[in-house]
Amino acid sequence: MIEYPEIDRYASLDSILHSFDPRAKIIAFLFLIFSIVLVPDLKIAFIGFLFSIFLLVLSKIPFSFVLRYLKWVTMFILSFFIILAFTFPGKELVNFYFFNITEEGLYTGALISIRAISAVVLIFPMVGTMRFDTTIKALYMLKVPSPLVQMLMFTYRYIFVFADEFQRMWTAMESKGFKLKTSLYSFATIGKAMGMLFVRSYERAERVYQAMVSRGYTGNPKTLAEFKMHIKDYFLATLVITFAVLLHIFCLVK
Amino acid sequence: MREAIVVRNLNYVYPDGTKALKNVSIVIREGEKVAIVGPNGAGKTTLLLHFNGILRNNSVEIFGKKIGEMRREEIVRNVGIVFQDPDDQLFMPTLFDDVAFGPINLGLDEKEVKRRVERALSLVGLLSSKDKCPHHLSFGEKKKASLAAVLSIEPKILVLDEPTANLDPKSRAELIRVIKELNESGITIVIATHDINALPEIADRVYVLNKRVIAEGSPRKIFSDTNLLRENNLEVPEIFKLFEVLQCFGYNCEELPLSIDEAIEHLTRTVETEGGHIHLHIHEHTHDDVRKLRKKYNHH
Repeated sequence: MIEYPEIDRYASLDSILHSFDPRAKIIAFLFLIFSIVLVPDLKIAFIGFLFSIFLLVLSKIPFSFVLRYLKWVTMFILSFFIILAFTFPGKELVNFYFFNITEEGLYTGALISIRAISAVVLIFPMVGTMRFDTTIKALYMLKVPSPLVQMLMFTYRYIFVFADEFQRMWTAMESKGFKLKTSLYSFATIGKAMGMLFVRSYERAERVYQAMVSRGYTGNPKTLAEFKMHIKDYFLATLVITFAVLLHIFCLVK
Repeated sequence: MREAIVVRNLNYVYPDGTKALKNVSIVIREGEKVAIVGPNGAGKTTLLLHFNGILRNNSVEIFGKKIGEMRREEIVRNVGIVFQDPDDQLFMPTLFDDVAFGPINLGLDEKEVKRRVERALSLVGLLSSKDKCPHHLSFGEKKKASLAAVLSIEPKILVLDEPTANLDPKSRAELIRVIKELNESGITIVIATHDINALPEIADRVYVLNKRVIAEGSPRKIFSDTNLLRENNLEVPEIFKLFEVLQCFGYNCEELPLSIDEAIEHLTRTVETEGGHIHLHIHEHTHDDVRKLRKKYNHH
């Protein structure tokens, strides 16, 4: 079976971050993410990283779940680390024939890696602690441009439908004797299946649009949402944002 | 009674040049429940898309007004369409949002929107699932949810495309019950369907469509026309067939029952008038009659 990309699988847990007001949570976390990503100092970036881990622990989302996604991101970031380590000009540490590993390269590579990983880790306590529809509503209430919110909304709604559709096509192919091999035939067949999926999605989009117009869609869907800010939310948001600011103050002081 | 939908000589050609509808004329009066039957590809869905102006054509009038001259909001308030595939119909992240979509677009205030959502969801029995995501619902639930999503608009005319297709018997029975109740509360209902066994319950009148209107009449009139059935690959309800068989065995029956209710009524009446029992026998024609009957229903 296809595994659904359910980032909000642990939205029903109960933690201080789960009960954090969605709007305040999004703003505070985005602030923190940007702050960490812009930190110029490795040690301070590492403090930011530790704080991200702390927030992740606070959210009670299992590490195994986060690692499953983090694995791919890390591989991607690792390639940057290696490229930077070998290509950045500076003091030579090790020399392999044509390539040098430089101290500055290692430093920059480590800095970029740790900032990127922290940002990805922070996504989980931010988006994973509420249902995705709540995230969408919060974005809507934060006045994020409507086309963007709608795009997210439809992606979330239809990714499952398309996953099921592809699963059915795959089952049909397998039951007619198709086996995945590294042959041109295999790739061509998968290409055709993907093409079919696009055609089907296109036709579905048309039908969905008809259903929307039938119910009075004019281009601006509105939703009802009830969020209330409590003192606790203001406090928590202030705490996260203060930490984000402090990171940069440390950098200036040093 | 007012005319809810009037279609006069409607033609439609698909972008690829295939003729989908030829000179279709239909009248649906307020408060009626009308079924549109016909083989696959007969243009049923295309016709339904004209009823709420997704395909705009001034041959269609809603309550006496040309549909091309109506504003979208006015059409939405009058005609609600439930499409065949519930995944097309349910596009919002949660069930509540989806059912609230129509009322919000009509500009109703928050209290009224909530009242309508709750009413629509309890009508189809899904109130307890209102915070669920559509992909966590079963097919039957999705089908009922898409009906609720249109009911919350409280349209005067409800158009349903294959409402009972692919449903398990229980969901199917529930949906038929809801449709009947809605009609009794005064909503005009138009249904495109292949579900012949449900037809006597959900329709007072039937149009047979195969690109053009082939026939029109009460379900009984349509089912009694053997040639019409054969030429359009239509079925008749099993109950109807059973009583035709009984006729071969000498059961006296002028109006063949179409539903279980009618059958019970008919049998009771016969037992009462014939002195406490029903008399069946095999006479010289029985075998011939049965053979003819088999041939009649093996045409496909």
